[in-house]
Amino acid sequence: MVCAGTGCVSCGSLQLRERLEAELKDRGLADEVKVVITGCNGFCAEGPIMVVYPEGIFYKKLTPEDVPFLVEEHFLKGRPVQKFLYTGPIVKEKVPLLKDIPFFEHQVLRALRNRGLIDAENIDEYIARDGYAALSKVLSSMKPEEVIQEVKTSGLRGRGGAGFPTGQKWEEGRRYDSFPKFVICNGDEGDPGAFMDRSVLEADPHSVLEGITICGYAIDAHQGYVYVRAEYPLAIHRLNIAIEQARNYGLLGKDILGSGFDFDIGIYPGAGAFVCGESTALMYSLEGKRGMPRIKPPRSTEAGLWSQPTVLNNVETFANVPPILLKGGQWFASLGTEGSKGTKVFALTGTVQNVGLIEVPMGTTLRKIVFDIGGGISDKREFKAIQIGGPSGACLPSSLLDLEVDFDSLDDAGAMMGSGGLVAMNDSTCMVDTARFFTDFSVDESCGKCVPCRVGLKVMLNILNRITTGQGTMEDIDLLEQLGKHIKSSSHCGLGKSAPNPVLSTIRYFRNEYEAHIKEKRCPALVCTSLIKFRVDPEKCKMCGLCKKACPMEAITWEKKTPAVINVEKCIRCRSCIQACKFTAIE
Amino acid sequence: MPKLKIDGLEIEVERGTKVIEAAARLGIIIPRFCFHPGLGPVGACRVCAVKFEEGPVKGVQMSCMTDAQDGMVVSTTDEEAADFRKHVIEWLMMNHPHDCPVCDEGGHCLLQDLTVAGGHGIRRYLGKKRTYNDQYLGVFVQHEMNRCIQCWRCRRFYQEFAGYRDLGALQIAHHTYFGRATDGQLESPFSGNIIDICPTGVYTDKPSRFTGRRWDFERGPSLCIHCSLGCHIITSARYREMTRLEARFSESVNGYFICDRGRYGFYYTNHPERPRRARIRTEEVSLDQAIQTAAQKIIQINQKNGPKAIACLGSARSCVENQAMLIRFCRVQGWNEPTYFETPTMAKKVKRAVARLDEQLAVSMREIEKADFILAVGADPVNEAPMLALAMRQAFRNEATIVVIDPRPVFLPFEFEHLPVAPDDLEPCLTALIKGAVHRSAAEKMGEEALRFYDTAPAEYPDAPIKNRMVKITQKLRQSRYPVIICGTSIVRETTPDVAADSALLLRAARGRAGLFYLMSEANTFGAALLSSEEGSVMDVVESIEKGSVKGLMLVESDPFRSFPDYERLKQAVDKLDLFLVMDYLPSFAARLAHLFFPTQTLFEMETSFVNQEGRVQFATSAYRGGIPISQISAGGHPLRVFRRDIPGGESQPAWQILAKLANIISLPGREMFSLSKNELWSWIAKEYPIFANVPIADELPDDVRVHLAQGREKLFPSGGQIRSGGLSRENSTLELVMGDWTFGTEELSTYSKYLQQVEKEPCLFMSPKDASMLGLKDRERITLPLDKGRLEMELRIVDTMAPGVIVMPKHRQLAWQKIEKWPVKVAMGQIRK
Ligand SMILES: Cc1cc2nc3c(=O)[nH]c(=O)nc-3n(C[C@H](O)[C@H](O)[C@H](O)COP(=O)(O)O)c2cc1C
Ligand code: SF4
Ligand code: SF4
Ligand code: FES
Repeated sequence: MVCAGTGCVSCGSLQLRERLEAELKDRGLADEVKVVITGCNGFCAEGPIMVVYPEGIFYKKLTPEDVPFLVEEHFLKGRPVQKFLYTGPIVKEKVPLLKDIPFFEHQVLRALRNRGLIDAENIDEYIARDGYAALSKVLSSMKPEEVIQEVKTSGLRGRGGAGFPTGQKWEEGRRYDSFPKFVICNGDEGDPGAFMDRSVLEADPHSVLEGITICGYAIDAHQGYVYVRAEYPLAIHRLNIAIEQARNYGLLGKDILGSGFDFDIGIYPGAGAFVCGESTALMYSLEGKRGMPRIKPPRSTEAGLWSQPTVLNNVETFANVPPILLKGGQWFASLGTEGSKGTKVFALTGTVQNVGLIEVPMGTTLRKIVFDIGGGISDKREFKAIQIGGPSGACLPSSLLDLEVDFDSLDDAGAMMGSGGLVAMNDSTCMVDTARFFTDFSVDESCGKCVPCRVGLKVMLNILNRITTGQGTMEDIDLLEQLGKHIKSSSHCGLGKSAPNPVLSTIRYFRNEYEAHIKEKRCPALVCTSLIKFRVDPEKCKMCGLCKKACPMEAITWEKKTPAVINVEKCIRCRSCIQACKFTAIE
Repeated sequence: MPKLKIDGLEIEVERGTKVIEAAARLGIIIPRFCFHPGLGPVGACRVCAVKFEEGPVKGVQMSCMTDAQDGMVVSTTDEEAADFRKHVIEWLMMNHPHDCPVCDEGGHCLLQDLTVAGGHGIRRYLGKKRTYNDQYLGVFVQHEMNRCIQCWRCRRFYQEFAGYRDLGALQIAHHTYFGRATDGQLESPFSGNIIDICPTGVYTDKPSRFTGRRWDFERGPSLCIHCSLGCHIITSARYREMTRLEARFSESVNGYFICDRGRYGFYYTNHPERPRRARIRTEEVSLDQAIQTAAQKIIQINQKNGPKAIACLGSARSCVENQAMLIRFCRVQGWNEPTYFETPTMAKKVKRAVARLDEQLAVSMREIEKADFILAVGADPVNEAPMLALAMRQAFRNEATIVVIDPRPVFLPFEFEHLPVAPDDLEPCLTALIKGAVHRSAAEKMGEEALRFYDTAPAEYPDAPIKNRMVKITQKLRQSRYPVIICGTSIVRETTPDVAADSALLLRAARGRAGLFYLMSEANTFGAALLSSEEGSVMDVVESIEKGSVKGLMLVESDPFRSFPDYERLKQAVDKLDLFLVMDYLPSFAARLAHLFFPTQTLFEMETSFVNQEGRVQFATSAYRGGIPISQISAGGHPLRVFRRDIPGGESQPAWQILAKLANIISLPGREMFSLSKNELWSWIAKEYPIFANVPIADELPDDVRVHLAQGREKLFPSGGQIRSGGLSRENSTLELVMGDWTFGTEELSTYSKYLQQVEKEPCLFMSPKDASMLGLKDRERITLPLDKGRLEMELRIVDTMAPGVIVMPKHRQLAWQKIEKWPVKVAMGQIRK
């Protein structure tokens, strides 16, 4: 199994596969060893990844040049190659088997149940792993009402951000007697850094198609659409193949599996404005109009696409559906917390050791995610905060590491689930600058319809810019809080209602950093360049000269055994020296 | 119906009413920028926040987006809500350029008002303002984007309400820009409305730019008389000059908007060449002297040639008072009744329409918006009566099916089914649709006449492509719950208004409800048809002059040289006259030829009334006293001042008063004397025409008074057995010339507007691709069109949205088309050449 997720492909997994196939053929092993290209394995930090079954031996960071040796050792001599195995982060031991690697050990795969196990472009492999069994069961033995009941029993809540109960949404979609009806799968995934939906679509497109089709049956729709952002060409490519194959197998189209139920699915590549992920804006965009949220009611379940009843769910939501119908809602509900059942996929990024795509039961603590799965903070630095929920999520401090993550607990902490982005931050991150960064994103992505979001956020950004350049006043903090509160309460859609979160949460949990910027004109994390003195503290300087090497402007003078000195005239405040210095001697 | 309490006052409203509207009914005006009663809510500006204290909705919410519901207790003065609104206004003012002193909106600016009302005065946030580049949007609209508060009203009106696409929202977030992709004249003939609805000064009225603040103007309610609909307007005048027009809300007629022809057509009233002095031949005299002279001449002719030797022409652009007084004048003098129509056919068509419009069938434009099926016959709304197109578009937005049967290349700002058939085929095409959708039993129930009409009307339309398209249309019509027939009166045949009315009756019998809406050529065509009893026409008068039986001609606000098809013949007839007397306010050709000329007042200078095409009597107040605009006689100093005792050019009088004075001189002793009181004139009208009996002559401006319409006194189904089968008359060797209207360039009064002249398109001849290929002609070629009395040169446009066998041309100001002996005109195919 060679991972062909986006991460691994970008580190050369396709070349790896070519070399591997050639090598196996040369050695006459082509018939014995089958090379399978899979969707994202999840452990992107270690790519390109290869897993050898039946044992499940996990190889990481392979290059085509490694292949001859590997084939020789592993496939001919039957000896796992030590130097390509994974090394545990704490106890420095080789861990040969995938299932023993902590990154995988704490995960429970449901939405990602087929990841790394099947070739996404081959429907037979999906079917071999119980694919389309749920659809077949539904069509042959369940009434639409029973399907809806099962989904309700499962307690599944939408994974697109708001956590709306999926069964209830379907029930409403079924209730309205206006035809045609539509099912839409929201694969817009506009959050920067998020790639959950992309991975599901790339690794297991059929699971999404199956979920959509079941929804169609439940609400009596005959047409579904997958709205995918155009920046995901691989996902679109695989979806196209999957739809074609499903049609050929009679799993889409007229009279599916002889049940008399007709259903087809089309793909719509979206042009990628963040706000187009909002359900009503998405439908306008699908209709070819400007993507802008509209007033609810009526809800989309009553008048959605082309003003017809429409159920819109997120990619991951749909991927969760087939197992629910196959194994029962009770089974699904057996995992998770009181209000949030099942698992959640997160894109874990930032300064953790193990960056990647993970799926954990609802209620898993942040600590477990960051330290057990993520392998802790990289570069021997300190954990500082975790940003959760995408660009309008919140930054939670270390005191909340034991928070059991689910829809409701996050809400209480002033954060939100969002679509599941998790960015870990270490002590070199400035929280004010982080808030500024996310606000900047929201300012640009606001659709421009309503005043608070369009103007208010821009005002917040201006204030943040002032603070990070040392021109802030203490009143600015109050002003930010006031503005944030008003924007949240007065914006029209989810974007504006949540966009102040990064600012509000950083003020709530990291107020001291704001004060340092304002009162002391100092950026504690040395990020905000206008507040950095670019002066070497001779006390701290160990006279190693690394900073001199790093400086692109030759602004640093250093002789052996004397502390370095920065010539402020020449300095362009690029922070290279700060990053280079191992002793935090530059202030 | 939901009952709720707003600021302690209870009110009950219809389901679906928004809280902001419910409050307005209590006289509580909740702040708003984006909400507009004509456009509905979007929830963009957030300034209408109120506190919901009790009931199904809680907390601070947008009153424009919340439906009024039972048990709601709403406070508009709640501290939290007020604070919320204050913030919103503060944000809106963040980027505003604060250029009120040079902004024409200043003084009636919603943003200004709410900023002051909300108490915002001091800027708290630093930082740069967002700025934009402005665009050239054409002759009417001045653009200043920095003032924008992104309420979306303009785009919602322009694209959603009116259906044009060239102005809209570009970019996103805080860059959101309202304008066009590139600079250029706005394409919509409704563009001026964005000036009215913009709550700040992004779009301002360009022709009247910098001419004054709201309070500088004399303002008053008036009417648009640039087509037969009679939209409601507000006038602004200053320095003896009509400065600008805006739309005035009318429930039944135009709603909140008007078209650009209406908005910018009024400049005839300020026209520098407008004749403002009485004249005897070329010599300017006082009005009294001219009246005296005219009286003598009239008496002479009457004595010598008898009372029938003087003929009078009125016009359909003249008000009810002028038309009525002219009739009264002729009756008292024992003259022939005045004539209002060019040809006998036109007179007949209009009179039939007026006769057939009964109380149950007549619908207003607001009702058209509610129709679910609209069938327009021989009508080209955007060109003939622009606001009708917008009413139809609202029906379209409510999912109505819209079908137009018309030979011309009709354009409408929405999707519709166009059945392009020749004028002769309009009736058979219409009845084929009706018969397809109405069962015979419905006709049976209506009696023998109806049945005869039903049975003899052609059931099929012979032309296959059109027939095929009709299948789907009849299906829709069969399911319709509220069909409306719109029937034009300009290019249709004499019998068409009757066929349209009979069709509407059948539809009503079959569907339970149906409407009928006629279009007419001018603002007071309906009045003229109601008042005049004879069916004479200009054609008859010309004949009598030629025969020598008529020696004198009096024109009251009429310019037959514009509309009479044969210019040469008319000119020769006029040259033969012993007396040619003209009363008008236009520098018309007839006015120039007049032996005696009397300057009359325009609509804006008098108290007056018009009857629109659905029989609605509507009143206008005078906007100002009239006279030559000060700008035209001052040296251009500042301030504009010229001090004199009289009003220069102020001699003009209402035509009916000039007529009354004239009558009082020439009347023999013992005859009735005319008073100069409008009330007296109206009592005469009410006495002579019982149909006007219910019209109050009050000072207020009633919007919804219709004259008593026919009420079924007419013979119904008169055309039974007379409708020929369609498609038969088509001769392959000739093309029928159809002359139509254009939004700009054909309507008499508005063609005097220098601003509309700038947006007129050059006249051209439309031909179907089939005929063009037979003639070997190409699109945009210059061609010569032979007419009875000469030829015309113009550009050819080949369009596939028109009927074959027909060529179409506008009655355009720039086209000397009056070379026609009589209607209809058939042109031999081979004679149209490059
Ligand atoms: C600004 C904004 C952006 C959004 N972007 C996405 C997105 O990229 N993907 C997504 O599935 N849902 C997105 N949503 C949430 C959708 O509006 C919607 O709630 C969701 O797709 C419903 O599916 P679910 O019930 O399965 O969660 C977004 C919402 C907002 C307000
Ligand atoms: S909150 Fe922002 S994104 Fe949402 S409607 Fe308002 S302006 Fe648009
Ligand atoms: S539609 Fe007719 S009456 Fe109305 S504004 Fe336009 S020209 Fe005037
Ligand atoms: S008027 Fe209600 S949001 Fe603008």
